[in-house]
Amino acid sequence: MSIFERFTEGWKKYRKPGYYREFDYHWAMTIDLDKCTGCEACVTACKAENNLPIVGEEEFAKGREVQWIRIERYWEGEYPNVKLGFIPMLCQHCDAAPCETVCPVSATYHNQDGLNTQIYNRCIGTRSCAVYCPFEVRYFNFNDHHWDSPLDQQLNPDVTVREKGVMEKCTFCIQRIRQAKDDAKDDGRRRVRDGEVQPACVQSCPSNALVFGDRKDPDSQVAKSMKDPRAYRVLEELNTDPSVVYLKKVDAKG
Amino acid sequence: MPKIERREFLKLVGAGSVGVGAGFMLRETIKHPPEYLIPHVVAPEDFSTGIATWYNTVCSMCSAGCGISVRTREGRAKKIEGNPNHPVSQGKLCGLGQSGLQVLYNPDRLTGPLQRMSARGGETFEQITWNEGLSRVADRLDLLRAAGRGNRICLLSQGVGGHLAQLFELFMAELGSERLLHYDYDHPHTLYAANRQFFGEEHLPYYDLKNTRYLLSFGADYLGNWISPVHHSLGFGHSRQGRPDIRGRFVQIEPRMSMSGAAADEWIAAKPGTEGVLALGLAHHLITQGYYQGADLDAWRQALRDYTTTQVAEQTGVATTTITRLANTFARSQSSLAIGGGIAANHSNGVDTLVAVNALNYLVGNLGKEGGLLFNPEPAGSVSHPRQASFRTMLKLAKDAREGNIEVLILNGTNPAFTMPAAAGFTEALSEIPLIVSLSSFMDETTALADIILPSHTYLESWGDDFPEPGVGFPTGAVSQPVVSPLYNTRATGDIILTLAQHSGLSDAIPWNSMEDCLKDGWREIYERADEETRTESFEVFWRSMLKAGVWGEKSQRDQTFTLAEGVIDNIGVAPPEFSGSPDDYPFVLHPYISNSFHDGRGANLPWMQELPDTMTSVVYGSWVELNPVTAEGLGLKEGDLVDIESPHGRVRAPVYVYPAIMPDVVAMPIGQGHSTYGRYAKDRGVNPIEILSAQMEPHTGSLASSATRVKIVATGKRVELIKTGGTSRDLGREIVQRFDPTAQSKTGGAHSTQLNSIPITTVTT
Repeated sequence: MSIFERFTEGWKKYRKPGYYREFDYHWAMTIDLDKCTGCEACVTACKAENNLPIVGEEEFAKGREVQWIRIERYWEGEYPNVKLGFIPMLCQHCDAAPCETVCPVSATYHNQDGLNTQIYNRCIGTRSCAVYCPFEVRYFNFNDHHWDSPLDQQLNPDVTVREKGVMEKCTFCIQRIRQAKDDAKDDGRRRVRDGEVQPACVQSCPSNALVFGDRKDPDSQVAKSMKDPRAYRVLEELNTDPSVVYLKKVDAKG
Repeated sequence: MPKIERREFLKLVGAGSVGVGAGFMLRETIKHPPEYLIPHVVAPEDFSTGIATWYNTVCSMCSAGCGISVRTREGRAKKIEGNPNHPVSQGKLCGLGQSGLQVLYNPDRLTGPLQRMSARGGETFEQITWNEGLSRVADRLDLLRAAGRGNRICLLSQGVGGHLAQLFELFMAELGSERLLHYDYDHPHTLYAANRQFFGEEHLPYYDLKNTRYLLSFGADYLGNWISPVHHSLGFGHSRQGRPDIRGRFVQIEPRMSMSGAAADEWIAAKPGTEGVLALGLAHHLITQGYYQGADLDAWRQALRDYTTTQVAEQTGVATTTITRLANTFARSQSSLAIGGGIAANHSNGVDTLVAVNALNYLVGNLGKEGGLLFNPEPAGSVSHPRQASFRTMLKLAKDAREGNIEVLILNGTNPAFTMPAAAGFTEALSEIPLIVSLSSFMDETTALADIILPSHTYLESWGDDFPEPGVGFPTGAVSQPVVSPLYNTRATGDIILTLAQHSGLSDAIPWNSMEDCLKDGWREIYERADEETRTESFEVFWRSMLKAGVWGEKSQRDQTFTLAEGVIDNIGVAPPEFSGSPDDYPFVLHPYISNSFHDGRGANLPWMQELPDTMTSVVYGSWVELNPVTAEGLGLKEGDLVDIESPHGRVRAPVYVYPAIMPDVVAMPIGQGHSTYGRYAKDRGVNPIEILSAQMEPHTGSLASSATRVKIVATGKRVELIKTGGTSRDLGREIVQRFDPTAQSKTGGAHSTQLNSIPITTVTT
């Protein structure tokens, strides 16, 4: 390929909005609210997998907790006709993410797999991204965190421990994705098979409410699940184009 | 060397510079922009992630017996996940199970044997060696055994299964003691008793949630903490959206909405303790509407004559239309299933209530049927149920202790000083026992009273096995193996018992040197039971393959026919529940519920669980009391107001949480907090509602009627800020949690326009 061709090719590929859609993967998740029981197994799995800090009672009271995935709960109606809806809320990996455009140092960017990614050592802690994020899923490290010994021994060696002044958030367990890609390469395959990589939350979900996969692969479970007539995205009107799709809770009558 | 003019030299330098500049710019343009942005995050080519070693073992955080896989790196446990091969957990695991890592790496673990240096009540302990500790205990055991007073030794363990339980049996029998008790606060005594009464079954049946179409749950929080929550969640997910064109429907009947109530399609509040009456009301409707046509129809008609829809509606507070609707749907949706437990069973009429629930299943033919209730085969190696100590048995133990009939108490992992009501006087009775030995890994409330502490390994460091109860329809079991080498100078419970046996000269009857040998001998029997054809070539091959898979199972189905036990129909009937305290002085019924994070309090020392927002309220780090919004307004209370919850037996102080889904005359409190010791994360945090419960019992089983205490709420005028996540608990028109109406014609997804977006997320089909 001539330099000129490479140049035009590269230009086309990378200068187009949504360029990442041309790459091999476009990771996405569906969450079936009809299956979600609010048990928070996903929350604990995330804490374990991603070395989330234990902030302590005082910091928690100031709203400085870190939960890359959390369960939100919304009551509807009044007693006795009252309902409670759970919704797991995590970084939506928006394809038109407001957090990315606001970062003054490009610490958060869209990678070629469609992931919204945070570069910890570039982050200077302006917290603008957290302000811009409509889903409130970005968490700031107000302190250096400490694990009472020997709790530090449980830390996952594949994931860095973030320090004070750094923003962090869900990565779709990028370390697991990387591992799966490596394994596929070792296997002589170009692509990761569907179901080969699961973030910790998806892996742990006892009612199988969460589905993760490559939405570019039309045969993947997640791509099929996204076609469900119950599919919707939270705060769709903001047009951030999230990669997390929810399936509505079925309201059975009688 | 050719001579270069100054002018030419400058030209060359200029041209060179332009060339370099242009080349540089071209290169920069061709270069992938991501290389610009992400030099630090894309791992270098030669970077390879480490390889983890996974060990399969069994979770011991509750009694469900989920199989787990533990990920280790460089000899450290890093993560616990469900074992995909195990039929109970199928690769999934609840939050508490995943926090097992923090049991292993808890900074407050006991690191070696201790002996008491002060009077009971103080916490001054001195380190001793294992030999000193073991021989002190063994000497005393010897003395008692030789004097024929072996029965004055009591072994009080948490519920354990498998070969450790059998070792306990053997050990205590050899010592000449009958006093071997397993004690768990939430052991479903009433469920066992009801099933024995109704079908003559000694083991819990399998509730086939996966294939059910309509589930009526009477108080059983099956998704939160009732007998096997992870397995139930798997079934729930499948029942909901796992089958094409069939969506299972769920109805939850309980006075305070639990997690299962929130997941249900319909939540119905019946007056506390009348769940059984409601079940019989449904049964009455089934009989009168001709849904049941068995030979014993007349007997049923006779037995249920006092449970007409109007009478039941009056007693339970549930509308007649609701009763008939539930009964009709229950009979028409095949398969349907009724389950009962939890709060419905924690009343003075608990067993009768659960028998009534069984009757519902019987009348519509759900027994022994897919999607209904399936009978389990005898577990391959389980502890007999009568060893499970009920509240009454514990009171008897306390009485024996006060009368000086207990000389040695060996505690294994159970914490009755925390999970017994203060009214039972259990803690005071313990102080009458001359020697208390604790094998706990933590300084819990009961261990703090011990004279000698011989700390055991955590379950992630020990050998053991488990045969899940309730089973999964076929014989299955799993071996738990150490996943890391022991962190501290502790020993496995089994090994401590074996060493004590050796010290006491019991080696003839208890020949093993280690728990691992004991386990292998036990499993050799199971291996030899299999027929020649399906068996692997040697036991070693079998053993290794089982350690690798983490589970063993046999393909066999149990005959599902059954006969109704004698006299069941005549005895059917649910008496009104009895409460302690008069309604005038104590207007509210206290509903203490098992917390998903802390279980019966055992999880309170795990920082992840402390920091995990409560499922229903999102509160962390503390206790609260849940009041109906109308009740709270009537009392002039708002969220965070500190109140005293006062029963005839004591009082605790907690902040108010205004809970939209609780009956106006019921107040609820989570169990788990309120530890006076048990490590830095648990100590002096919140309150323990068990403390103020009355010592009321269910008469058939002697189990604690924990929902039968009345309380009053006294405002203190003080306030605290409840620590919780999120702001408003209402959606406020943001349409965050959207609901789908299956009957609606238009099937477009999303409340907002999908045209705006570059990728349409739904396909429009009409």
